[in-house]
Amino acid sequence: MNIPDKKILVIVPAFNECGNIGRTVEEIRHEAPHVDILVIDDGSIDATAKEASLAGGMVVSLPFNLGIGAAVQTGFQYARSYQYDIAVQVDGDGQHDSSFLEKIVEPIRRDGADMVVGSRFLEKKGGYRSSFSRRVGINFFVHLINVLTGVKINDPTSGFRAYNKKMIILFSEYYPHDFPEPEAIVVAQQAAARIIEVPVVMRKRESGSSSIRYFKTLYYMAKVTLAILLHMIRQKRRNT
Amino acid sequence: MNIHVVAMVVSVVIFLFVIDLVRRRRLTFKYAVGWLLVSGAAIFFAVFYRLLFAFAAFLGFELPSNFIFFALFCVFVFLSLLLTVFLCQQNDRNDVMAQKIALLELELKELKKKLK
Repeated sequence: MNIPDKKILVIVPAFNECGNIGRTVEEIRHEAPHVDILVIDDGSIDATAKEASLAGGMVVSLPFNLGIGAAVQTGFQYARSYQYDIAVQVDGDGQHDSSFLEKIVEPIRRDGADMVVGSRFLEKKGGYRSSFSRRVGINFFVHLINVLTGVKINDPTSGFRAYNKKMIILFSEYYPHDFPEPEAIVVAQQAAARIIEVPVVMRKRESGSSSIRYFKTLYYMAKVTLAILLHMIRQKRRNT
Repeated sequence: MNIHVVAMVVSVVIFLFVIDLVRRRRLTFKYAVGWLLVSGAAIFFAVFYRLLFAFAAFLGFELPSNFIFFALFCVFVFLSLLLTVFLCQQNDRNDVMAQKIALLELELKELKKKLK
């Protein structure tokens, strides 16, 4: 494993994930012993916070459910106030294989990117590549983001990401709240961030259910599209 | 003629009710202003209803009542939009506060651990 030259924070948003969170945290600790792990318990009503803490993660417990975007943003705020150099986002549901953690951090370590997205679709390798209906949805976002920003991200809904300090500061101030992954790419691109993708393999979730269920895929697509379009007409925020 | 008296009484009651709410600190000035203006206008037009009729005719409404309904409708649409804006603002502030509280809680926990 690499020399711990940079301060790295792994942000793990989790909402009622007590069946997965312990394993996720342990796996990250095993794969990357030099990182700090911050689990954002997004108002869970189960033992998520306890499990995460037992597994050795730091836990921020939001007083009520704020949604994935605000939860991840809380992690950015922590990373910013404790001056972390790199933040990595790993979902708490066990889908992301943390043996790829160092791989998505590496481009940021050598300052080759501001933001790295772990992508399921870059290489035709195995692993979990989502259901057909969802892949149609994902493909739609690939084109939408490409048309709007000129950037081609093959897996825009992936929540397995790494960010440098510039992104930590940007997203601690503003991070889209409702369905943040595709929109965050647009936000980053507008801030002239260098976004790259790195191939990763994902797993099917191990327990519980995803926040995006199959029959909701279309609804999700419409909502995120609208959110992105509304974002485009929004006034630019003052950058600090 | 009675309808004008009823309209006048109702608008005066609303006006006084708003003032009473402000007095009892149930309504802050920021939100009271709009209601005072609307109820003030209602009193004005209840008294000078001929002005209202003339205005309605000028705008091309066949019946003054149509004009009143239309005007009320506009006021409420605008009002609910305004309330949605306030709601969003409160929502945002709520989120920021929740995030701050959660982070402070963690910091406190870590500090306590260090002290032990």
